[in-house]
Amino acid sequence: MNELLQVENVSVRYGALEAVRGVSLVLAAGETLGLVGESGCGKSSLGRAVLALEPVAAGRVMFDGNSVTALKGAALKQFRRQAQMVFQDPFGSLNPRMSVGSAIEEVLFVHGIGASRTTRRDRAAELFRDVGLDENWLGRYPHEFSGGQRQRIGIARALALEPKLLVADEPVSALDVSVQADIIQLLKRIQRARGLAYLFIGHDLAVVREMSDRIAVMFKGEIVETGTSDQVCDNPQHSYTQKLLSAVPDIDKALA
Amino acid sequence: MSEKGKSLWSDAWRRLKKNRLAMVCLGLVAFYTLAALYGEAVYQVYKAKDQTAFYQKTDLSQAYQPPSSKHWMGTDALGRDVMQRLIQGTRIAYKVGIVTALIAIPIGVFFGCLAGYFGGRVDDFVVWLYSTVASMPGLLFILAIAMVVGKGLLGIYLGIGLTTWVGLCRLIRGEVIKHKEQAYVMAAKALGLSWPRILFRHILPNVFHVIIVTFTLRFPAAVSTEVFMSFLGIGVVSEPSWGVMINSARMRLWQGVWWEMTFVTLAIFGLVLAFNLLGDALRDALDPRLRTEGS
Repeated sequence: MNELLQVENVSVRYGALEAVRGVSLVLAAGETLGLVGESGCGKSSLGRAVLALEPVAAGRVMFDGNSVTALKGAALKQFRRQAQMVFQDPFGSLNPRMSVGSAIEEVLFVHGIGASRTTRRDRAAELFRDVGLDENWLGRYPHEFSGGQRQRIGIARALALEPKLLVADEPVSALDVSVQADIIQLLKRIQRARGLAYLFIGHDLAVVREMSDRIAVMFKGEIVETGTSDQVCDNPQHSYTQKLLSAVPDIDKALA
Repeated sequence: MSEKGKSLWSDAWRRLKKNRLAMVCLGLVAFYTLAALYGEAVYQVYKAKDQTAFYQKTDLSQAYQPPSSKHWMGTDALGRDVMQRLIQGTRIAYKVGIVTALIAIPIGVFFGCLAGYFGGRVDDFVVWLYSTVASMPGLLFILAIAMVVGKGLLGIYLGIGLTTWVGLCRLIRGEVIKHKEQAYVMAAKALGLSWPRILFRHILPNVFHVIIVTFTLRFPAAVSTEVFMSFLGIGVVSEPSWGVMINSARMRLWQGVWWEMTFVTLAIFGLVLAFNLLGDALRDALDPRLRTEGS
């Protein structure tokens, strides 16, 4: 298997608290790995550690065969182009004082993509169309969009760098259920079109199963179970996974 | 082609316009500003011609004239027109307010941003620095600086400018600490933006309202300090600062020469009141927490 991401015995600490304890994961190019667990189990910390946004206390993160744990300067910037993030909070993750178009253009500018302002603007418009937004809205500010639209903007901004890996940290849990389905469909469509890999973090097992090829269940900073989505959901081995599953409302059971 | 969005700035301006008292104060501030600009123009013209300006020329036969159609605000002990001198006083007040702000704001913003963003040792140093400055009684510090560089505007500029950055620095530091934990900063880091860009292009615009409000509240305070120092005789000399005018007006006040004192104090009162009320209104209008969705 062609591994894009290898997480080896990674720990993340905040002072005395060990949020992530010796976690190992692998993710192949173009694959989706779901990471589920309750709030506070360390899944977001792990997601940030994978992107070198959180210092790793022990272990290492390998991306495309290179360690990302000690990257700095230009090498770190190069890594950022290949691994991007979609955030849980579509309200907070956009700078309220910057028009959404200039936010996307800035990312292109900083990474030296697009020779002139016009090419960058055209690229931003293209990204907007890709995520199902009207390119005439590029001049608007974040507060003029709905939650679902803002999440699309966040996705467009992450895609601007054409990454190979997208860490999606609970990208739909702040949204209405009807909007959640739209965003999930969008993420799946993007994956098919661009062949990128997702590390999809969530607490709702039904949503994570819908997205993922494989699922890792995280509990108190450790991975307690991994397997294909069907294995984990239909035949859970660990008692915590069974508990998580029993929390998913099942329409067949309810009607029976 | 693409439509223009409503920025938070235009949003704040819309809310400020709804506040009638704030608009009156803004008008008053504009009036003072025009007076100061007119005063500067007059001052520059006489300076270029190398002549004694007419508001400086003494004419003892015209001394202590009460307000009349010729001298709207009367004349002073040396027969000089009070209104013209008042306008020159406005010019000096504006110079003091603006120059001290130009000294204090960059210092406060720079140190506040670095301390808030980096924390740790940098923060310790900045907090030590501003605590040291703040622990000295402000006026004594200002007097000491004025003594070192000598009488005149330079002493006032440095004295006020170098002591008043502390409050702003503290506020900016706190705001930056708050903002750097926000998701948009994490997003900017994940997108590979450099720290100067994150700090000055993303965080700073979000805390800029603090600077505007601080400026409008510091401006009248700097003016009052200048008036006070000039009144004591350690500030402006030989130019018609408001403090100098009050000092000379008090001599004959008991003899019924009320006009100089009255108009100068009214001018100060109006300026301080207008700036303070405007500052409060700006604080309300710019406060992002008071923004209501879609209103």
